[in-house]
Amino acid sequence: MIECDIAIVGTGLAGMRAGVEIAEKSRKVSVALISKTYPIRCHSVCAEGGSAAVLREGDSFELHEWDTVKGSDFLADQDVVEFFVRECPKEIIRLENWGCPWSRTADGKIAQRAFGGQSFPRTVFAADRTGFHEVHTLYERLLSYENVEFFNEFFLTNLAIADGRIQGISAIDLKNGDLEFFKAKAVILATGGAGRLYGFTTYSHQVTGDGIAIAYRCGIPLKDMEFMQFHPTGLIPSGILMTEACRGEGGYLRNRLGERFMQKYAPEKMELAPRDVVARAMWKEIIEGRGFESEHGPYIALDLTHLGEEKIEERLPMIREAAIKFAGVDPVEEPIPVKPVQHYTMGGIHTNMFTETPVKGLFAVGECACISIHGANRLGSNSTVECLVFGRVAGERALKFAENAKEPEIPKNFIKEEESRIYDKIGKGDENPHAIKKRLNEVMDTHLWIFRTGEGLKEALREIRELKRRYERVVISDSSRKFNVALLSTLEVGYLLDLAEVVAMGALLRTESRGAHYRLDYPARDDEHWLKHTLAYYTGKEPRFEYLPVTITKWKPVERKY
Amino acid sequence: MRILGWFKYRSPFGMTFMFQRITGLILLFYLCLHLAYLTSLQEKELYEFFTSITVSKQFFIFDSLLILCGVFHGLNGLRIIIHELGFAHEHRRVVLIITGLLAVVAWLYGSYIMFLAIGD
Amino acid sequence: MKFKIKRFNEKNGSYWQTFEVPVRTAMTVLDGLFYIRENLDNSLAFRASCRMGICGSCAVKINGKPRLACETQLSKFKEVKIEPLDNFAVIKDLVTEFEGFFAKHKKVKPYLINPKISYENPVEQIQTPKQLKAYYDFTLCIKCGACYSVCPAGATLESYLGPAALASAYRFNADSRDHGKEERLKIVSQPNGVWRCHSAMECSEVCPKQIEPAKAIQLLRRATLR
Repeated sequence: MIECDIAIVGTGLAGMRAGVEIAEKSRKVSVALISKTYPIRCHSVCAEGGSAAVLREGDSFELHEWDTVKGSDFLADQDVVEFFVRECPKEIIRLENWGCPWSRTADGKIAQRAFGGQSFPRTVFAADRTGFHEVHTLYERLLSYENVEFFNEFFLTNLAIADGRIQGISAIDLKNGDLEFFKAKAVILATGGAGRLYGFTTYSHQVTGDGIAIAYRCGIPLKDMEFMQFHPTGLIPSGILMTEACRGEGGYLRNRLGERFMQKYAPEKMELAPRDVVARAMWKEIIEGRGFESEHGPYIALDLTHLGEEKIEERLPMIREAAIKFAGVDPVEEPIPVKPVQHYTMGGIHTNMFTETPVKGLFAVGECACISIHGANRLGSNSTVECLVFGRVAGERALKFAENAKEPEIPKNFIKEEESRIYDKIGKGDENPHAIKKRLNEVMDTHLWIFRTGEGLKEALREIRELKRRYERVVISDSSRKFNVALLSTLEVGYLLDLAEVVAMGALLRTESRGAHYRLDYPARDDEHWLKHTLAYYTGKEPRFEYLPVTITKWKPVERKY
Repeated sequence: MRILGWFKYRSPFGMTFMFQRITGLILLFYLCLHLAYLTSLQEKELYEFFTSITVSKQFFIFDSLLILCGVFHGLNGLRIIIHELGFAHEHRRVVLIITGLLAVVAWLYGSYIMFLAIGD
Repeated sequence: MKFKIKRFNEKNGSYWQTFEVPVRTAMTVLDGLFYIRENLDNSLAFRASCRMGICGSCAVKINGKPRLACETQLSKFKEVKIEPLDNFAVIKDLVTEFEGFFAKHKKVKPYLINPKISYENPVEQIQTPKQLKAYYDFTLCIKCGACYSVCPAGATLESYLGPAALASAYRFNADSRDHGKEERLKIVSQPNGVWRCHSAMECSEVCPKQIEPAKAIQLLRRATLR
């Protein structure tokens, strides 16, 4: 049993930012940072393009708010967005103060560039490695505090909840295979999205939605899970992200005929329309036969050749490196082969605007949470800064809660039940968990992709339930304790299956098209019936759905055109 | 046996690192021999016996190898000093090649002089 | 293609195992490892995360040289021989103990030290592109451990801070916003610090991000002498 005041699960941007906030405010409170990998191996390092913040003359909080709300297809909670945009600049400057190597203008100020759906180029960046530098800056900052301890390679298995509040968590210490229990007054979940539901995805291998699924099984509702973002430009065949900054810096998208086809779909914003719009346009071009052909399937060309080597080397060095290493294409000379790719989980654990979940003392933040500033479609460069802003809020709230909380107590039967669940109950059958995951990926890539239909969603749901039945007979063939990857991946597949069901059912029930959720059989937005958040509750059988009104303060929904 | 870490070849630079150690040890060994040799000057017969073995065409190959060790160790040492002063890290391949060429030239020239000195 | 993998677990000790992996175009060593885990032997332990060369998880020895498995194309080779990194203790198969490596990184105070900054009211500091360029390349370290695994000085002295940590120290010392240079120089000039380096240059040679840790170490030496 490990005792701490606050346990933070997940050490990406959000988790580490929460850790910094707590350590800055109190040197007495003990903080445990628990993560499945080493902190700087988190998926946040893959963020490339930048972080949005209002810093300069000509831009305003209202503009950032409006862009975010319009981008979200009016599903974002506007009071939260209002708070969010006002906090962004401070977070960018704080990171600067802690050593983040932001790219600079000639006179030494923090530079900004254009991103999709913005009315002002407000994306702060560090070349095309923004997430990488943000993560390293926060990690290094955390090394300077004495009351912060890292627990690396601990895999979260469950939350101990009793008397309506959090008491602690359980996690497998991967290095020796033992189940560890952390007693904590407050717990912050910052475990990331659920990207590996899909096969063609920009996500790191370890992003399997563990935190979301565990919270869901503990009875906490999941919000808006049917909204999955598809990024327009994923490198083929691997799905590696080619940042939106490629287009922000002036790159073009072309079809096989050489046309900049975005003219047809978003005549004003062109390539810099929000991601859902561009991804749909690209997919339509591909379906209608205007994509390029290759052995890895059809693709669209991302043309940077007119930018010149100097600009590409300065602003997009990693994109160039990745295109050469993984596709054998040098963007200075040739267009990059790309197609839309699954990229972000807009939904997540239901929280209020203070990152509080319905369980006292349990907070959720970052991609695993749905605080709802992204609504139905996130704008590029809003997610990294969301992690910073609300990571701080989560830290602040958790600290306040922990300072006034009673001593937690992990129930004895929780420990016993958890041990038998992990070591005795799972894995006595004959099904290969990887085969189940592969099939799940195929189902998601087919039926829950950019264009959805009622028929397809029903088929997907049937398949997912079949896979859940197969999962009950799963086998773990490795019985050793140390670094048991077979056990790890089997548990992950279980989490993914639960989430897949929520995503598919949510999408089937939402009979409209909004943001990233596009139904061919209901192609219009339906504000009368569907201007509301989806909440999914775990019941043991199929999820139960409730709906929650959207908070609208300043901006009434209007037609969304770019 | 952590010292085995010295002898794992990976790049030309790792290789020169390894040869620097080996030639250093050889030169140290030679120094000991040399001192023993000099001690023999006290007795004329012993000295003449030693020279009759070592100053000969059959023994020339060892002399030549010794020159190689000395030349390599010295020039490579100079190369390392350049880098250790913080210079020319980006051009380390070129520096290495030049060092190598210089070493070969110096070695051949030294061996030639030595060969002439031996006589018959 | 044949994958020859050096495996290790507590029960069976260390042994070599060969797998036959079907190859398609643009496939990487990491794809091959996942193929094995998913289809042939799901106990095969290796670390991997981002699969785009930025997280630093998957450094292993491939045909004798430490590389990131995710960015090593299979088309380069006829067969591959994969081993865990040298100079790290093996936990299982290709997974090695990194706690010590990260502890060394922590030792050099790898964070910006500036007593003037305020947490509550942060103020933007000016840094010109030239000042940024002075240290930027050294910020790119992904802590994959490749440099440490080939370092002969690290092989003979376990407590040697090693290339990654020292490069990190230099990164902050070269930052125009930093005020902690003296503290850091005191740390790196100890017997297990910069003077342990023997300029074998292996670190700079294997670095997948083309950072020059060897150069950083020599520049730190210069600074300590001043």
